[in-house]
Formats: sequence, structure tokens, C-alpha cells
Amino acid sequence: MADTPEAIRKSQKLYLLIGAILFIFTVVTVAVATVPALDVGRHGFDTADMILGLAIATFKASLVGAIFMHLNHEKGLIYLLFGFGIVFGIALMGLTAWAYSDITTYGNEKSRDGFYSTELPANN
Amino acid sequence: MEIPYTVTARKDTGLFNSKIGIWLFLASEVMLFGGLFSGYVFLRIYADYPWPERALPVLPGLINTFVLIGSSVTVVFAWASLKMRQWGRFQFFMGITLLCAVAFMVLKGIEYNAKWGHQAVRLDDFTIVEGHLHKATLDENGDMHVIHKGGAGAHGDAGDKGDAHGGDASKGDDGKEKFYANVVVVETEQVKFTLTRAYQPYVDDLLEQVAKRGGKLVLAADFAGRTDPDDETEVWFKQGDELTPAMLKKAKSLYLKARAHNGEVRTAALKASWKDAKKQDENQGKDGWEYAEKVQQDFDKRLAGDAAAQLVDVPASMTFTAEPNFPLIFKRSLIREGEGVSKLKDDTEIVGKVASSPLGLAVDAIDLRFVAQRAIEQGKDPETVIDGLWIMQKPEYQALWEMHRAKVTALEKELLEDYGVDEFGNAKRVPTETERYRIDWQDMVAFHEAGEQGLAADDPKIEELRPGALAGFAGPSHKNEEMAEAFISLDIPNEKVAFESKFTPKWNNYYAIYFTLTGLHGLHVIGGAIVLAYYMFFSKGLYLRNPEWLANRVEIGGLFWHFVDLVWIFLFPILYLM
Repeated sequence: MADTPEAIRKSQKLYLLIGAILFIFTVVTVAVATVPALDVGRHGFDTADMILGLAIATFKASLVGAIFMHLNHEKGLIYLLFGFGIVFGIALMGLTAWAYSDITTYGNEKSRDGFYSTELPANN
Repeated sequence: MEIPYTVTARKDTGLFNSKIGIWLFLASEVMLFGGLFSGYVFLRIYADYPWPERALPVLPGLINTFVLIGSSVTVVFAWASLKMRQWGRFQFFMGITLLCAVAFMVLKGIEYNAKWGHQAVRLDDFTIVEGHLHKATLDENGDMHVIHKGGAGAHGDAGDKGDAHGGDASKGDDGKEKFYANVVVVETEQVKFTLTRAYQPYVDDLLEQVAKRGGKLVLAADFAGRTDPDDETEVWFKQGDELTPAMLKKAKSLYLKARAHNGEVRTAALKASWKDAKKQDENQGKDGWEYAEKVQQDFDKRLAGDAAAQLVDVPASMTFTAEPNFPLIFKRSLIREGEGVSKLKDDTEIVGKVASSPLGLAVDAIDLRFVAQRAIEQGKDPETVIDGLWIMQKPEYQALWEMHRAKVTALEKELLEDYGVDEFGNAKRVPTETERYRIDWQDMVAFHEAGEQGLAADDPKIEELRPGALAGFAGPSHKNEEMAEAFISLDIPNEKVAFESKFTPKWNNYYAIYFTLTGLHGLHVIGGAIVLAYYMFFSKGLYLRNPEWLANRVEIGGLFWHFVDLVWIFLFPILYLM
């Protein structure tokens, strides 16, 4: 991390550059979502648009994290602390995915392998 | 005592205290927002209604993204200035950061306000109509009339009061009472209050209305009873007494007293029944549940016999007669209309016929996606179902739909020409469900212009009226008179309204999660701005004493601010573009 006044003076250009990249990619996000000629996948919003939109957002967020929040050269403990947050954050997302595959939410449909059939046994 | 490691880093970790603190906090924030984003995904996957895709005007969100990114740059410059010991430059950049925070919240406020003032109605045939409520008035005969154009407050603004009747009742230039045309009018004959449930603000509003109508609510029968079994029956209020809040209050306390007394009598009788049963030889060695039925029989007998004389009686409700019968207006969300008897949320019964009380609004969008979705589910042709809708029986809306269909056909053709067909002969790209079945406010403005130009629905020029992606700043403006002309007035009969709401969490899960996520994010912006403002305005002393300590503090505040920016970087595409 730039800590000496001299190093900080130099890194100011980098901050400006990152700011400019973030501005440009914000315009790109809007453009790919709204300009028909830049529409990926099917016409209108679809999975491809979602992946592209989130990929751009992740790229922008990474720049903010790496440069503005100095995560590109931080101490080990910070990575550990923040890493825990990210892992648990993803685990929470995982819970959603888990719930989505929960057979009980599908009413009377049979699961593909029939293992979790919701039909009652014949003698019940 | 001096706290170590506020300025210099600990040797083993290489960090000063607050940096560990803020990163721990940010880690918890990742989990908080992660859970909410997860909730968003969950709600969207399971939505059994057309998800409002790209429903928000993009421009405010885009500007707010620029504002937050800009502030992220300035906050890092503010920190760098402190590191270089340039106090004036620090204040300059911090000042810009704070201005950005204010701009963000102002824009957010405008956005929220637009939603709170925007009405949505789902009809009983699943047509969704959006727009701004008109105002209405009652004539001498008590009939409700929706005011369509002109007059004071013809177009509604945000917010309704929480009272039982139609929101902000105000008086126009002609001195007539005006209210939002989203009420239910009941030709009131009687009002019956449930004493334990009657809600004071509703009662006050009712009395206010009664006074306005020049009528009276009088007690239908003597309110009599006794709270002590030794007393004679007492008449507390006589038939014909006029309703007052104090009257209801006293009646309630009498009823509660009687209820408490009867409760004691019953408990004593039940205890005695159990005591006797336990003493009986046949019940020795048995569990209570084995002879509980007999206890119940004994208890019933006691209640009908000796204990009956101990019971007292005070009515649980009070009924008032309207003299003469007069119309009362109620906010639609507070009343459940019924045949002859309607009920308020506090169980107050309003006896009388529900009068014609249409929901009047200037329509700025018609959403037929729900209709189409349901038609497809039922194996019907959506277009045929749409043609048969109630709203399509009105010529102006039918014409609008015809023009919209022409626009979609033109788009279909254009996509076919541009992208061709796949190996099965199907068009590679087709219009989306939203394009097919949603007539947006920009469309309405464009079609209005087309109508003025005399374009027919099959004119190829119709497609040129397709609005741009960034058209409109904060949605439709009903105050812009030229634009407002495109928004056709519609009076929806009371019985056609299945559900109505402003664009608040009540309307659907999309708005629920939208307000949760952006509201929480907004609170973070406010919190962060307060901390940064403290550094800017109250830290000169610390700067002179120990500038490095202040630089560390600003770095911590800055880290939080970047995180707020980081969350918005995801919120913007998810809520505005997807």
C-alpha cells in the first residue's frame, strides 16, 4: 500500500484511472442492457444478459476492492477476516440454491430419480 | 491511559486497531447483504406473477451510480491529502464526497416519492392498471363523482393519511370536500362497534364525517346490563343517545369488567368440578384426562345451575342508527365490502348499501402480462383473452391496444429481418413478454402523439414512435400537462377492483425487496456521510496534534464508504437493468 507521501502522490493517477474505468463500465452495463444492437443471447433480458451484467459488476467491484480499498496489497489477517465474510456470504446464497432443489416445495411432482417421492405409501 | 496501536501498526499483524475492526465489520456486512441478495434471488425464482423486469427508470439509478463512484474517488483523494498533510485539499475532497452523499439521497427520495404517489390496481380479470389517482367529491344526493380534469388537486400526490376515510380530504375552490377517488362509499343505515376492537382513530374519523354530513349516529337500543350479580339491571345509555368517544370508552370498560367477573365465576366452577371429581372413589388412581369428559359435563351443569346466578351480562357491541341515512366514505384498504354489511379492519360493521364508488385514475400503463401468463397456463390464446377483457370494451383502450399490437408486429418483423431464422425455421429473436403485453407510459405518450398526427394502427410509422431506453427521468409526469393528456382517465367500478396499492412493498415482492435493499443501503449512505462529516468539521484539532491518527481514521471511514459503493455496484444492475 502506498504509505509514504511520495508513493501516495504517484498513486493518485491510478485512483483517477480506476475512477474513469468505473465510469466507463457503468455506461457499458447500461448499454448492454438497453441498446438492442448490444443485446447478447435472446432478444431482451435473459440468462446471458444476467451473466454479462453480473460479470461487469463483479469486475467493477473487484477494482474498488483491489485499488480503493487497497486489497491488492493488504496484510494476511485482513484477507482472512474478509475471506470469512465472503465464504459465509456465498454459503447463504448456497442455502437458496439448496432450498430451490428441495422436493417438498414442488408439491406432488416426482423428483427425477424418484427417490424423494412425495406420494404416500400404499398402506397409509 | 494511552491506547496502543491507534497510529502505528502492531508488529505481528502489521495493522492498527481500527483497521481490524472495520474489516471485521465489513465481513459481517457482506453476510448481511449477501443474505438479502439471496432473498432477492429466492423471490425472483419463485415469483408466480410476471416479475417487474427493468421496471424502474434507468436514469436516476445511473446518475446515482456515477455519484457514488465519484464520491469513492474523492474520498480516497481526501485520505491521500491527509497523508500528504494538505488540510485544505482534504476538506475540499471530503466536501465533494458529502455533496455526493446528499445528491444520492435526494435522488433516492425523488425516486421513492414517485413510487409512493403512483397507484397500481389489479382488476378481477388480472389486468393491471397503473396511474395517478384522481380526486372525487360527493354531491348533494351523496353520489360520488370522479373529477377527471382541472380543479384543485385533480391529480393526486403522494401519500394518504392513515385515517379510515379517503386520505387527504381537502376543500377545493368551490368549497366542496374532495378526496382521492380510491374509497368505498356506504349509504350508512347502522354502525355496529365491537367494543374491545373499536379503533379510536377510525371512530374519530367516523364522527368527523357524521358532523360533515349533518347527520347523527344514535344508539339503536338501550345499553343495559349489570357488572355485579347482586345489582339490578342498569341502563347506562339510553336508546337515542348520540355517539361520543367517551360513551364507547365507558361501555368498553363495563364490558371488560363483566367479562373479568364471568371469567372468575367460570374458573371457580371448573376448579370445583375438578376438585369433586378427584375426590370420587371411581377416579382414584386414574389420570386426569381419563375423567376429563365427566368433569366437563359437571362444569356445564354448574354453569347452567348455581353458577348462572353469579354470571353478569354486558353487551359486547354497540349499535348506532344513522339519522337520517347518510353516505360515509372509507379508504378502500380499510374496508371489506359485503352484501348489506361491510366491515372495517377493527371489526366495526357498517350496515347499508355500498354506493357506486369507482376507483378513478389517469392511466399511465396497462400491464397485460399477468393476463397472458394465466391464459397460457389455461391453454387459451392470450390475444383472444385480452380482446375480451373489461378494459378492452372501451374504444380508447381498444385503439391503444391496436396500436401497441402494430408496434409489436413491426418489432417482430424487424427482428426477423435483422437476425433471421434458426434451423427449424423459427425466428431467432422475438419480442419479449414485456414488449408484447405491457403498454408503458412512454408508449402511451407516443401513441397519443401518433393519434394527433392521424397515424392509423397499421401505419408503418408507428414503430418510429418507439421510445428510447433513457426516455423519462423519474417516470411519468402527471404535472406536465402535455404529457398528462396521453394518460386516459379510467373509472373502475368498485366490484372490478381485486387489489390496489401504491408502488410500496404491499404491491408485490419485487417492491418489498427493492425497498429493503435500497432502504438499508440508503441508511448506510447516511451513516457513512455522518462519520465523514465529523472528520471534515470536527477534526482540525486532531489534525494539528496527530495528523497520522486522523489519516488512519479517514482511511477507516473511506473503507466503509467504498463498501457502500461496492454494494450499489451490484444493486444498480440487479434492480434497474435485470
